[in-house]
Amino acid sequence: MSDEVGSAEATESGDVERSPSLYDRWLAVREREATIAVLTFVGVFLAPFILVVLPELLGIPRQYSWYRNLVILALIWGIFAIGFDLLLGFTGLLSFGHAMFWGTAAYTAGIFSANVTGSPIAMILVGTTAAVLLAWVIGWISLRRGGIYFAILTLAFGQMIYYIALSPLGNLTGGENGFTGVEVGPLLGLLPLGAEIAFVPDALVETWMYVLVGLMTVLAVVVGNRVLNSPYGIVLRAVRENEQRAEFVGLNVWRYKLMAFIISGAFAGVAGSLYVIQRSFVPIENTLNWTVSGEIVIMTVLGGVGSLFGPLLGAGLYMYVANIVSGMPTIGDFWHMILGLVFIAVVVLAPNGIWGRVEWLRERVGETLGGDDR
Amino acid sequence: MSILGDLVVLLVNGLQTGAIYVLLAIGLSIILGTLKFVNFAHGALYVIGAYLGLLITQEISISNGRLAEWGFPAIGLDWGFFAALAIVPMLVFVVGLAMERFVARPFYDRPDTDQILVTFGLAIVVQELIHALIGPRTYSYETPSEAFGLLPLSGPVGVPLSSVTIDVWRIWVIAITAILVIGVYAIVEYTDFGLVVKAGTRDPEMVRLLGIKITRPYLVMFGIGAALAGIAGVVGGPLQNINPEIGMTILVPAFLTVVIGGVGSIRGAVLGGTLIGMVQVTLISLGSVGLGGFEVNFTPWAQVGIYVLAVIVLLTRPQGLLGSEEVST
Amino acid sequence: MAHDDKSVSRRRILKNAGAAGVAGLAGLSGCSEGGDGGDGGGDGGDGGGDGGDGGEDYPSLGNYPIEGDTATFGFNVPQSGPYSSEGEDELRAYELAVEHLNNGGGWVDEWDDLSGDGVLDYEVDFVEGDTATDASTAEQSASRMVDRDGVIMFAGGSSSAVAIAQQGVAQDKKVMFTCCLTHSNDTTGRDCVRYSFREMFNAYMTGQALKPVLVDEYGDDLDFYQLYADYSWGKTVEESMRQFMTEAGWSEIDSVATPLDTSDFSSYLSEAQSSEADVLFLDHYGLDGANSLSDAVDAGIDEDMEIVMPLYNRPMAEAASSAIEGIFGTVAWDSQIDNEPSNSFTEAFGEAYDGRVPSGPAQLAYSGALQYAAAVERAGTFYPPEVIRELEGYEYDNIGMDEETMRACDHQAQRAIPVVRGLSESDQSDGNYFEIVNITSRDDVGYGCDEGPAAKCELGDYGDE
Repeated sequence: MSDEVGSAEATESGDVERSPSLYDRWLAVREREATIAVLTFVGVFLAPFILVVLPELLGIPRQYSWYRNLVILALIWGIFAIGFDLLLGFTGLLSFGHAMFWGTAAYTAGIFSANVTGSPIAMILVGTTAAVLLAWVIGWISLRRGGIYFAILTLAFGQMIYYIALSPLGNLTGGENGFTGVEVGPLLGLLPLGAEIAFVPDALVETWMYVLVGLMTVLAVVVGNRVLNSPYGIVLRAVRENEQRAEFVGLNVWRYKLMAFIISGAFAGVAGSLYVIQRSFVPIENTLNWTVSGEIVIMTVLGGVGSLFGPLLGAGLYMYVANIVSGMPTIGDFWHMILGLVFIAVVVLAPNGIWGRVEWLRERVGETLGGDDR
Repeated sequence: MSILGDLVVLLVNGLQTGAIYVLLAIGLSIILGTLKFVNFAHGALYVIGAYLGLLITQEISISNGRLAEWGFPAIGLDWGFFAALAIVPMLVFVVGLAMERFVARPFYDRPDTDQILVTFGLAIVVQELIHALIGPRTYSYETPSEAFGLLPLSGPVGVPLSSVTIDVWRIWVIAITAILVIGVYAIVEYTDFGLVVKAGTRDPEMVRLLGIKITRPYLVMFGIGAALAGIAGVVGGPLQNINPEIGMTILVPAFLTVVIGGVGSIRGAVLGGTLIGMVQVTLISLGSVGLGGFEVNFTPWAQVGIYVLAVIVLLTRPQGLLGSEEVST
Repeated sequence: MAHDDKSVSRRRILKNAGAAGVAGLAGLSGCSEGGDGGDGGGDGGDGGGDGGDGGEDYPSLGNYPIEGDTATFGFNVPQSGPYSSEGEDELRAYELAVEHLNNGGGWVDEWDDLSGDGVLDYEVDFVEGDTATDASTAEQSASRMVDRDGVIMFAGGSSSAVAIAQQGVAQDKKVMFTCCLTHSNDTTGRDCVRYSFREMFNAYMTGQALKPVLVDEYGDDLDFYQLYADYSWGKTVEESMRQFMTEAGWSEIDSVATPLDTSDFSSYLSEAQSSEADVLFLDHYGLDGANSLSDAVDAGIDEDMEIVMPLYNRPMAEAASSAIEGIFGTVAWDSQIDNEPSNSFTEAFGEAYDGRVPSGPAQLAYSGALQYAAAVERAGTFYPPEVIRELEGYEYDNIGMDEETMRACDHQAQRAIPVVRGLSESDQSDGNYFEIVNITSRDDVGYGCDEGPAAKCELGDYGDE
């Protein structure tokens, strides 16, 4: 986190005071939204080639490399993680109930598709709206208490909604069975999500499903970046650094926190809706149960709290370990434990996560290149 | 069957359900109150207690855990339930000491979120270690049979004045919990040791300035809290399925108990646990009730009920029912 | 479908291309697009290319054709959760089936269709998964088997919610699924799919089989109370029991849902007890069933009421031990059934696993895997639509339950149902936990394709239309 702020300040001061070094200039470019968007776009749409096709060309056994649906899943969880990080990384609020936004969006989108229309765009809009409304209410109640109480309260609300969906609303949600009636229609009324894209080589992007999820990921990164670099994001960081000071300068800290919570809920909503579109099924244990809240915490913290790309990285890593490493002989059975140990190590030793380490390396390299010691 | 009989059954079931929560919540609450430490791994202590109890009580065969592959197709001491009841608290006490020294203490000065994260990670590691070694399947205790040849420990007994029968072990769980709670309460309220702990809760700086070493009492309190969680795993065992996930499952109601009762208060934990247990059991037993033309079925709401209870308490009395303002934030 | 087509052909091209490099790859995949783009019958166009693999003239579909010379089966069973005992036994049987398919033994030696030397010249391998007795985990695990391990078929169950979730995956990904233990009416009713078959009977048929026995034993004007597991299976058992027992002149006082994976049923049971009904139906299965039955006996309910467990099995009876005494129910199959296939399975299973007696779910697992393999041999291909057509309407009597038909209209086996009664603890000594009261003939149970659960069934497409 502080790294980010530091580099941003360095850029500004660099522009004004010194003749900009090569590295500073690159930093300035990097900060620009368009660059981020393009970089993300390229990254997202090269991912299937790098993760799926290339290993196959290199002869890596199929069961050790990524598969296309897993890349899609990783991006969906990545969107969720970016949203979670907007809350945890930039306001310092640790929610243990984000499953409720992901899950509520999933159920709303799924039930909507069965009863109204299966248009993926409509499903995302409806699911996200439900998540936002829920985040508003839950945030309004939970943010009255800070710190540990916030974690426990969100955890409790999350489980409450899980149990409501499980039993009293079982007729609507399918309860323990999950909701099986999801009917996903074609994109924009004419492009079936599972169908292949005729004009793009297979080796790059295969289905419209990937295009939809990929574009939503780019959008999530851009929006996340916009939020963080707006005056609004600056206030959020100030709140995290020192809540009292922020309050003294006349900011309504509570409202800013609530807004951050709602935005975070919206990201979870988009991701939850996409998840249902991808699976054509709403599995209750993978949507509303608090294990999902735990998973998103692990992904975000592993990847790197307080950075934009860290959570994406964390989600990818988690998906790979949970789906591929888990099938490997010997260590497969221990995948979850290994993840737990790495998680502890990250919390204790590297609070900025894996991305933080990457940034750290990059800055060291940057210093040597730029030759200045800011 | 009489209404009196129904009430007796309701009361026994409710108190017994609550008793397990009370045992867990006391440790959680004291550690949170005195050390300001949030322990998401408290459920792990419960699992450790349950599995240790299982292994001391009987011999279990391991079907798809690693231990079976490593040449231990069956493990367990087969010493019986009472051996477990006596030994497990001591073992988990030691586990608690280790947890305080190596996990909690380095994190006292770190932010709350870091404490939550590291203990959450620890809980996962414990759960997965059991999962990998002993296997994911569910075990159950052999029900304890006769106690000292005098009192039946299990099986149905008739309740005077009514025709119902209840499982005696439930009454034992309530009794054991009551004795332990009174014991811990006495230690905290009426001994010098308890005085230091309580003073530390209010103002640790001042206690330190007075030259009292506060580290050791904290260590011991952590151990006692852990031991109670371990005992909960053992006494709850015969009434419950034992699998690696139960620690995570029970953590949430245990936290609710603390939140409802009030942080740092033993009496609060007892009240909170009892309330949660009674609400849960009452909702199940209410079944369908006609309310002004509407038929409302309460049974599916049993799990939701305890969360509603917690939300109501938090909104109306944020420090918990018996919590004091200054300890709660 | 066209999409699956290409992903596989692309894979093969990649393989063959070898060191051709990225530039060559782009060109090749471009070719394959040109080749079958444009019309819905693109399958046919691509088929010729794939045919080189085994002389089979079918387009690629789902995970067909198989890469390499090993056919991978996926076995997705509950290794944790309340049905894990059943899952362990299923997995044993599946492993045994694979062993027999590759090396002969058991029924493989007796069935004409099977060679004991793999299936269609492919060696059979398998991957296993844990459903955790939960639909969400099962669906995830099944998708992973299909995507990651490229299974040509997957099988499993215990818990109908789990089976139904996996059926969804099967139909969606066009990979065949064979149900193991699933007893809900919905599996071959409302939620039936083309890509799945069920050997197990359902709650509706259990109701038909139990009704005469219960009326005979307990009388015809009784009140009953039901506790049922709150998911697909429990709900349909509850419905069917109500339907058939009401027909028999009994009346229901109340029925209450209990969450899956409940360990303590005492509060639910105390309600049942105060209802003063004559008969209590415990519509629970696996460990839940063993727990609810033990709790009921602990609370002394068996002294005031008759208890019925519509579906139980060997591991459950073992877990409930003495509580099972006198309890009526139905089982999938039992080793006490004395005929050639049953005995040879019991023997083969015992030999492989230290004399262990197989349970009903084990027999379902074993027969499911072999039925699939035999259908593949008869079809001469792994191409799913052809295998499905082989199984539809198939008549057999080789799994120890007399004459059976795998009905084409809902993929529900029409078969006999064993009704059993639990033995007292002293009679359990020789490894049998219940006695077989009656094997209800298939003529006395079942329903037409347009009635009962089948009326709601629409199987969906084969994938080659």
